[in-house]
Amino acid sequence: MNWTTPFQYEFMQTALGVAALVGAVCAVFSCFLVLKGWSLLGDAISHAVLPGIVLAYLAGLPLALGAFASGLLCAVGTGFIKSHSRVKEDTVMGVVFTGLFALGLVLFTKVESDQHLNHILFGSLLGLPRAQVLQTVGIGSLTLLLTLALRQDLLLYCFDPGHARSVGLSPRRLNYLMLTLLALTIVTSLQAVGVILVVAMLVTPGCVGFLLADRFPTMMGIAVGTAVFASVAGTYASFFLNASTGACIVLTQSALFVLALIGAPKRGLLAGGRARRRTLQTPNPAPGATV
Amino acid sequence: MESLLIPFQYEYMVKAIWVSALIGGVCGLLSCFVTLKGWSLMGDALSHAVVPGVALAVLLGLPFAAGAFFAGLLAALGMGFIKSRTSLREDAVIGVVFTTFFAAGLFLISVKPSGVSLRSIILGNILGISNADIRQVAAISAMTLAVLALLWRDLVLFCFDPQQARALGLRTSVLHFTLLTLIAATAVASLQTVGACLVVATLVTPGATAYLLTDRFGRMMLIAGGIGAGTGAVGAWLSYFLNGSTGGCIVVLQTLLFLAAFVFAPRHGWLAQRLRRSTGTAGIPA
Repeated sequence: MNWTTPFQYEFMQTALGVAALVGAVCAVFSCFLVLKGWSLLGDAISHAVLPGIVLAYLAGLPLALGAFASGLLCAVGTGFIKSHSRVKEDTVMGVVFTGLFALGLVLFTKVESDQHLNHILFGSLLGLPRAQVLQTVGIGSLTLLLTLALRQDLLLYCFDPGHARSVGLSPRRLNYLMLTLLALTIVTSLQAVGVILVVAMLVTPGCVGFLLADRFPTMMGIAVGTAVFASVAGTYASFFLNASTGACIVLTQSALFVLALIGAPKRGLLAGGRARRRTLQTPNPAPGATV
Repeated sequence: MESLLIPFQYEYMVKAIWVSALIGGVCGLLSCFVTLKGWSLMGDALSHAVVPGVALAVLLGLPFAAGAFFAGLLAALGMGFIKSRTSLREDAVIGVVFTTFFAAGLFLISVKPSGVSLRSIILGNILGISNADIRQVAAISAMTLAVLALLWRDLVLFCFDPQQARALGLRTSVLHFTLLTLIAATAVASLQTVGACLVVATLVTPGATAYLLTDRFGRMMLIAGGIGAGTGAVGAWLSYFLNGSTGGCIVVLQTLLFLAAFVFAPRHGWLAQRLRRSTGTAGIPA
């Protein structure tokens, strides 16, 4: 077995391609998510899709449809309960998504299905049937195109909702738009990395971009590069290590995050240390003095 | 009627019911602090972050609680460190760190599958809990209750008004860390009953329900503890008949109670609010 062996198998070629696509879709959206501070929401929606998947299976509908509906229900339900009670938003979110996930678990154990719970929870990148690959590529491309087409509006909403309102964009509509795109992104990546690790794909690349870049397009470019590299390298490594593919992808992303954290030119730990030493050496100018 | 008592004839069911009630009660008490502080994401993060610790401890033949606890603390420290050194938002930092830990756990288990069953970590395995594990859970619960009893006043003050706590000379960083430690410890215990994915429910939902029902903190803790213990016992009992996941049953019950409180709570419920609004407008003379 040498280093090209993985590329000779068709299932590995498919897995590498799908992983790269899923990584890119998630990375683009992760930039908005990180700026907006919606990590918990990403975590919540990704868990909340479970009952939708089981019910869609029972009804003979596409699983992605059920997952999408159930994810949106979580977001809308959280919004409703929060605006009609005095409980904090993060608490409501915790209550709603765990309730849905628990319901999904109970349903799942009651229903005889050919879906393996481990595949839903952890993904099955190496064993994707053709139909699911097509589905992932379809939903993924659609989500990617929509996100990129609407990026100006989303960006304005993330940075300055007040300004978005003043230029005539409805924050309410943008909020729902962003929720929908988030749910779509999660549905895209479910098959590949599973319910539990989706949130890593949705947060880590954006953080790496944030640490390294000063401008949003650069941040997005770095995030996509990080995610695609991690997806391909992780899938490739999992072949040799005989380890969970999702875990390998996420660990590669985390390693890149740690590198960025330490070595980022302006915001890294090393740069921070240098800056602190500089400020210690140069005496502080008196307040108001021009340097 | 007699068929309802069947679960009590089995030793493993009786054990499952009282252990679930114990853990549920302790988590319920702690959930009051978690909901007040707005630490839901932290609870979720710590419950996922303990997974590699469990995997390693089982591989090395150590008590699972020790490994889990260590991993949880390491994650909390990591989050604190990264947050203090970067301008990244706190929620993003928490997201990155806990998924890294969880992925590391998953990696370990997938490479060395002999150690521990992934299913029992993710979904809990209260029906098959061993006596050694029960002892660990009981020790954790006793310790948590003791710390809560000792530091009750300080922790409450810290949650409601950290500034005031600091002004009174309390060391808020110590209290912050104590609370995190307690959450990590109970997350480890709760892992046994409901599994890593649903731990956060036991650490949030009872507190949120109680918060809708009362305005006094002491009463809130009583209600939350009661809900936690009650749903733990009833959920475990119910799972015998549903033949379903125990953790799922417990958390579904908790969520139903929350929804009932959300709609029907006497003062803070949805119906009460609507009623007040309609009578309020009717009471204004035209």
